[in-house]
Amino acid sequence: MNRFNVWSLGSFLISFVVIIPIITVSVSFFEETSNYYQILKDTFLLEYIFNSAVLLTGVLILTFLMGTGSAYLVSFFNFPGSNFFKWTLILSFAVPPYIYAYSLTAFFENYGTAYTILKNIFGDANYNIYIPKFDGMVGAILSISFSLFAYVYILTRASFLYQSQNLIDLGRNLGFSKFKVFLRIILPSARPAIIAGLSLVAMETLAEFGAVDFFSINTLTTGIYNSWITFDDLAFANQISFFLLLFIFALFFLENLSRKKAKYHSNMKGGFKKKEKQDLSGAKAILAFTLCFVIFFMSFLFPLSQMSYWTLKFSDNLFDLKIYELLWNTLYLVFLSFFVLIILSFVSNYGNRVSKSKFLNNLTTLSISGYAIPGVILAVAFITFIAWLDNSIIKAMGFTSVKKIFFGSILGLIIVYFIRFYSLACNGIKSGYEKINISVDENAYLLGYSKLNTFTKIHIPYLKNSILFVGILISLEIIRELPITLILRPFNFETFATTAYIYASEDLLEAAAAPSLFLIIIASFFILLSSKYILRDNDE
Amino acid sequence: MKKVSILTILFTLIAGFTIAAEVNVFNARHYKADAELYNKFTSKTGIKVNLINGKAGALEKRMIEEGADSSADLYITADAGRCGVFKAKGMTQGGLTSAAIKAAVPSNFRTSHWTGIAKRARIVYYAPERVSGAELAGLTYESLADPKWKGRLVIRKSSNIYNKSLVASLVKNNGKAATAEWAKGVVSNMARTPKGNDRAQIMAVAAGEADIAVANTYYLALMLSGKKGAEQQAAAKKVKAFFPNQNDRGTHMNISCAAMVKGAPNKDNAIKLVEFLLTPESQEHFVNNTFEFPMIGGVSANPLVVNNIGLDFKQDLKTKVSSYGAKQADALEVMTAAGWK
Repeated sequence: MNRFNVWSLGSFLISFVVIIPIITVSVSFFEETSNYYQILKDTFLLEYIFNSAVLLTGVLILTFLMGTGSAYLVSFFNFPGSNFFKWTLILSFAVPPYIYAYSLTAFFENYGTAYTILKNIFGDANYNIYIPKFDGMVGAILSISFSLFAYVYILTRASFLYQSQNLIDLGRNLGFSKFKVFLRIILPSARPAIIAGLSLVAMETLAEFGAVDFFSINTLTTGIYNSWITFDDLAFANQISFFLLLFIFALFFLENLSRKKAKYHSNMKGGFKKKEKQDLSGAKAILAFTLCFVIFFMSFLFPLSQMSYWTLKFSDNLFDLKIYELLWNTLYLVFLSFFVLIILSFVSNYGNRVSKSKFLNNLTTLSISGYAIPGVILAVAFITFIAWLDNSIIKAMGFTSVKKIFFGSILGLIIVYFIRFYSLACNGIKSGYEKINISVDENAYLLGYSKLNTFTKIHIPYLKNSILFVGILISLEIIRELPITLILRPFNFETFATTAYIYASEDLLEAAAAPSLFLIIIASFFILLSSKYILRDNDE
Repeated sequence: MKKVSILTILFTLIAGFTIAAEVNVFNARHYKADAELYNKFTSKTGIKVNLINGKAGALEKRMIEEGADSSADLYITADAGRCGVFKAKGMTQGGLTSAAIKAAVPSNFRTSHWTGIAKRARIVYYAPERVSGAELAGLTYESLADPKWKGRLVIRKSSNIYNKSLVASLVKNNGKAATAEWAKGVVSNMARTPKGNDRAQIMAVAAGEADIAVANTYYLALMLSGKKGAEQQAAAKKVKAFFPNQNDRGTHMNISCAAMVKGAPNKDNAIKLVEFLLTPESQEHFVNNTFEFPMIGGVSANPLVVNNIGLDFKQDLKTKVSSYGAKQADALEVMTAAGWK
């Protein structure tokens, strides 16, 4: 095999671009920070770490309970609505944490929607003191949990589907109660999937910006943003990033490790017996229905109704909204990123496949860690890098500044999206590729196909479904994306996400309702398109 | 080839700016009313207003990183503290010195680099049911640290720019050490850990969570206008406004400001836009939509402000608003040291 062909060079370049932010952050770690605010920084650093830890713990507990609980119910039992909940539970993905935060505040704040409801039922009185306030840390934990529990739900459910009925029967024969079977057999054997789901949740939680910023909680991620902005201290921001990255890398490898194990488990073909779902009736059926309904209601219907109600109540704002423009901008970013990501993932995957280089493979593995790095950090690192490149190389060589090409341009935006979401695309395509045996390629070469022909005539048709699925995942991410878009977007360019965020940050939550509602609707549409792939059953 | 066409699209996009008559505004004020004003300006002068909306900090950062290559002409934001700090970083330039601007804006609300375009006061709101006139008599910002308010006061977080500027003005007037003591007193008087925006502080008083709140003037009028719904309109009526420090230097004043960015490629157009924002027509628009006080004479505040908050009060015209930026670091330091979240 020719190791240094065009494909592997392309693959190398792509991986290198993606690794730039990690290098930038790591290099800055060793730079001097200004000690002007040293006392303040010491105070804040402890607070950042403490808050991140509390947030993470709260979210992990909640998403674990909701994710595995609902997955268990819909996988092992038939009850009224069990098939309905099977797919509606993933709709929660359509509500990003920051929109959930707006909904919580709109409903529970003093004189909010809860107050209005009570007033309309019971007449005038000061109900505010009886209405619980979900703001601050509690609000952030709830917002993130309801938005992300579906990760745990999807992965756990998929692993439940492959569980051996024999094992469960064995437990029953030993006289285990249903609960004991769940605790002792079902849960432990789904552990890799649950851990994989939870590590995704953990990475997203650590990276969370919108909701955490809205409730003004100082976490490591908002800390990076603030120290960059309040203290003018990019080096300190990068240092916090470095700590965060260490933490995230640990999670990332944990996730990778458990995914490998998950594969091992799911390949267990021997003794596989189609699982019989148990029919629940009476009080048990009602309980199962209620639990699933509460999760579905809280994660999706509640924010959807609150945003719809405000959109109608303050309908002036709806008419002021440039819906077509926002829709066009949002979809424009979605399609552009989709093409760039898919094409470059192919180049990279194909390059690895033909070169069989170990080094390239490792580089690719490292480069897909972009997904674990918070968008805020990526945007900051990107700006740092370009500013450095511009000042110390491009201008030094006598060329004109390239900053304008990258800051406040669609190109800059797409590059950083690419770095952030490359792992999604690359992994999606990779798992598709793994199913095409390498001997297929070799046969194609024997038949006289060139590398390009093998790629276009054989690989692409094979991988159509993978491309579609990956495309939908990318679309969802871009629709919801906030910090990167916020920092790098061009003049006169807004998306539903940025519009909602900007109104919300200016105490115009009622004006944020309409763009939020549109965002939820569009994201739901993409989720419904993809539900077929996400929820693939083994019997399909 | 797909790849080639995408690259072409990308590059045409980048190349697609530079139109003759335009002004680039980095805008951290997101009132819908402002956007309407910019449209009026365009139809009057033919100068296109390009907006990049965002939170103040992020916008400032982007202008700083872009440096001399920035396309920014004007930076419009709320709070003199922000404009002051931005100037101190060397990011602004002189030029807002035209006769029209000087005639319109009193000298303590402008420098040659930035100027106020609307005014607000940061005042005390109280629940008349629970706070007597005698208790309020002679209230100053300084006396908010008085133990008699223990567990009765609500105010935003220390990271909020309005608070930073208020405390900066106290540092300027009373010194850093005295203000550090004061901040400790305020923290021990708080009815709850600081959270929410200014409007949330007013609602906390209306709902009985606290007896007094510190917030800006326009928020009460906004609630009374019904734009926030009937419930908040009713809630706002349970709260009254009080102007602190009437017997000494006057009530803390602040501005929304427009700053001329260093290296602005469309400086003349930027000056035109600022002059336009200071015309009676624009000022009317501000006062009736955002409920701020007008920056110029001859324009009256909105009736909701006049009737419910009042205009007949002594403004602090002694403390220059440009000091808010200069003392901001000290302000943040004393608040953090006092445990002000």
